[in-house]
Amino acid sequence: MSVNDATTAVSEELAKRKDMIVCVGVDKWYGDFQALKGVSATIKEGEVAVVCGPSGSGKSTWIRCINRLEVHQNGTIIVDGVELTNDLRNIEKIRSEVGMVFQQFNLFPHLTVLDNVTLAPIWVRKKPRVEAEALAKALLERVGIPEQADKFPGQLSGGQQQRVAIARSLAMEPRVMLFDEPTSALDPEMIKEVLDVMRELAESGMTMIVVTHEMGFAREVADRIIFMEGGEIVEVGTPEHFFVSPTEDRTKLFLSQIL
Amino acid sequence: MGSGISDAFDMNAGDSIGELPGKPVEVSSNPAEWLKKNLFANIANTLLTVVGGIATVLVLRGVLNFVFSEERRWDAVRTNLRALMTLAYPESQYARIWVSVAVLVTLVGLSSGLWANWGTIRVQRLCRWGMSLGGFIILCILLREPSVLLDSNGIVLRDSFSEPVRESFSSAMMSRSTWWIVGISFGGSGLAGWYRLDSTGRTKTVSATSTVLVPLGVLVVSLWVAPYGHYAYSDGLFIAEPGERVALSTSIPWTWLYLLLLATMVLGRFVRNSDLAGIAKTLVNVSWVISPFVLYWVILRDPDFDYAHVVSTDLPMGLLFGFLGSIILWWLTRSTGETARIFAVCLVGIAGFNWVAAAFGWYPMLQKARISFLLLAVAALLAPNFVGELAKRKKLVTYWLTTMLLVHYMATTINSPSTVDISSSEFLGGLSITLFVAALTIMFSFPLGVLLALGRTSKFPIFRVLSTGYIEIIRGVPLITILIFFSVMVPLFLPRGMELAELAAAITGYTLFSAAYLAENVRGGLQSVRNGQFEAADALGLTSVQRTGFIVLPQALRVSIPPLVGQVIATYKETSLLAIIGIFDFLRVANSAIPSQTAFLGVKREGLLVVSAIYFIFAFTTSKYSQRLERRLGVGER
Repeated sequence: MSVNDATTAVSEELAKRKDMIVCVGVDKWYGDFQALKGVSATIKEGEVAVVCGPSGSGKSTWIRCINRLEVHQNGTIIVDGVELTNDLRNIEKIRSEVGMVFQQFNLFPHLTVLDNVTLAPIWVRKKPRVEAEALAKALLERVGIPEQADKFPGQLSGGQQQRVAIARSLAMEPRVMLFDEPTSALDPEMIKEVLDVMRELAESGMTMIVVTHEMGFAREVADRIIFMEGGEIVEVGTPEHFFVSPTEDRTKLFLSQIL
Repeated sequence: MGSGISDAFDMNAGDSIGELPGKPVEVSSNPAEWLKKNLFANIANTLLTVVGGIATVLVLRGVLNFVFSEERRWDAVRTNLRALMTLAYPESQYARIWVSVAVLVTLVGLSSGLWANWGTIRVQRLCRWGMSLGGFIILCILLREPSVLLDSNGIVLRDSFSEPVRESFSSAMMSRSTWWIVGISFGGSGLAGWYRLDSTGRTKTVSATSTVLVPLGVLVVSLWVAPYGHYAYSDGLFIAEPGERVALSTSIPWTWLYLLLLATMVLGRFVRNSDLAGIAKTLVNVSWVISPFVLYWVILRDPDFDYAHVVSTDLPMGLLFGFLGSIILWWLTRSTGETARIFAVCLVGIAGFNWVAAAFGWYPMLQKARISFLLLAVAALLAPNFVGELAKRKKLVTYWLTTMLLVHYMATTINSPSTVDISSSEFLGGLSITLFVAALTIMFSFPLGVLLALGRTSKFPIFRVLSTGYIEIIRGVPLITILIFFSVMVPLFLPRGMELAELAAAITGYTLFSAAYLAENVRGGLQSVRNGQFEAADALGLTSVQRTGFIVLPQALRVSIPPLVGQVIATYKETSLLAIIGIFDFLRVANSAIPSQTAFLGVKREGLLVVSAIYFIFAFTTSKYSQRLERRLGVGER
């Protein structure tokens, strides 16, 4: 189980930083099926971790446990020093600190782009509307679609929608961003515009956990790559380690299939 | 005949959607081509058209011969128009009715000015309407059989087989000259417009507002010039003056109402483009909600205030709740907090206890106080959403003060006796009571239905079981049973001293019934909201109340518009059951009040036909409006 001790593979500089997310022995069952088998990992502040693995390997389940969209049954998850328990206040606090971007965007179709982005800051962060709108416009500028503010999500392309979704999460000024296959539902020509936004976000020092099949992105941006299969973390390492000299047979098999 | 009309509507359904610049406008082919393409495309089609056409003509002929038969006593309806609308509302107080209508017209005008995007209609479509209407009128003239001949005593002439003798076809056509003129002018202007204008001219548009306002204006002007005849029942006296113009007491108010409609529409448009638009919209919305209460209990009923009691009890009590409540709410919103929640829960407890106590008669207390406690608990529950800057806190306090003012004022007006001379237990009747009951039922059952739907889909077993039980029980019981239960049985169970007016009983029954059905419609909408929406809202840290209010309900309600409108129309029509518990609603006036008048003994069919026509017009308008609403709300759809 040595590979499960994630810190071993972190560069020295990263290892000195504060722990942002700590998972210890997380188990999750769907009925009789065990989706997560003792997942342990530590994500440092400002780190970009890419999670990859074959489908059904528990990648999405794991990051959905981190903001309690799924409830884990065993183990401990600590986000920015707050442990995830059944206490409603902790859950709400963690959710407002952890942004999430979904595969299917999940924008609110009945609200304009601007309202999508300002809703949570106004009602969860209790920001005055003027301030929230200024922030939203700045964020839409940052993701490259300031001119779409008054449209409805249904009038945008997939790539634009996903960028709005990123802006919506950023508007809460989260400490961590989770990406659940953000480009899987996009047409090929739109993938780049979303990855560019994520790259920029990574460079700005945001802590990110990204579940993705975009290996080019992983190689270029990730500080660490976490490979999962069958509900467990099989191998953790820097991109060089992972792509050039993986140690585990299952990792090698996976890489041979996708590269 | 129904299918022909609905085809004509479907054919045009797409027209009023905005046009894109640069897109070539599709001009539909000429009528002959349209006919060939849509009605006579192949043999089977032709056969169906012919069979359908014959059936339509036969039905139309039957209806025409019924409506225009010499046996029809249409003067029964003309004479009793006032009774059909308001029953026996005292004539000396009739200005109150006009004021009420004026209030509604003002609200309609302001709303359409402030919100409605009336859009435009193509001239082509107007031409088509003109041609269809003209053709239809001419068809009717031809189908109606010639009138029977009367002898000098007004007795029908009969031939040797004792069949009535009818005038010749040509003289019948001659005697319908007015209708010929009407039909030909509609059809002719439509046809002329169609062929005079080239294809670009036909695609020109006129504002859709004018297509409603101009005919309405013509109708109002015709009140001053056309000899509709003067008919009335006044002080037991039957007035029938055919060929006269309508009385000034009809034409003057309607003219003013029309001008008021124009003025308020212009005002609404004007305000819409100014800074006041937001406030104006809020004001109009609030006015719509409180208007049924104000109209019924304040304007039409004219409460006779006991000012000594008002000064000694009502006013101090209202002020006390207003100010103490404000202080409490101000304190609760000073910081985020548990205090507000704990306090609110305590208040809910107090409010609940008050109602239980009322049932056992423990603490004699004015009903107003119980309601106020309940409202304060609700406001305290909402308080955490208003924590923050001064403006937000002030908003909550303002809301609270306004609510208290309104609630206490309304309670006082409802409790005061009326100055209007009431002949039966309820002073209104006819269409006005139908609309009043329908409006209040829809207004009350809507929030209740939404709550029940949320309860039924809730995680909490107690809510789920209670809501499901309620819905299933109500849906398993006929409406008449519920109405009779509330008007006859409930008063027996109430503690001594508590009364339930007949109308209140009826509205309660309707509300509880309709809420169960609305709940099922809303539940359908709730189930259509995708799971991702819940997850996105959760991931942003919204509370479950915020998630429901901002994300889930708006989407669910939009999906359920068609069934909800269906339920609204059903509720409106079901008000005709009011007759069963002894209220003189619209239908009952036509069915039993008019036929019992000496002048019109047993004359029923005419009244019933008119009543059904008016029911239809309201229901059809509602359904058309909901279609517009669906199209407009479809904007953000995937």
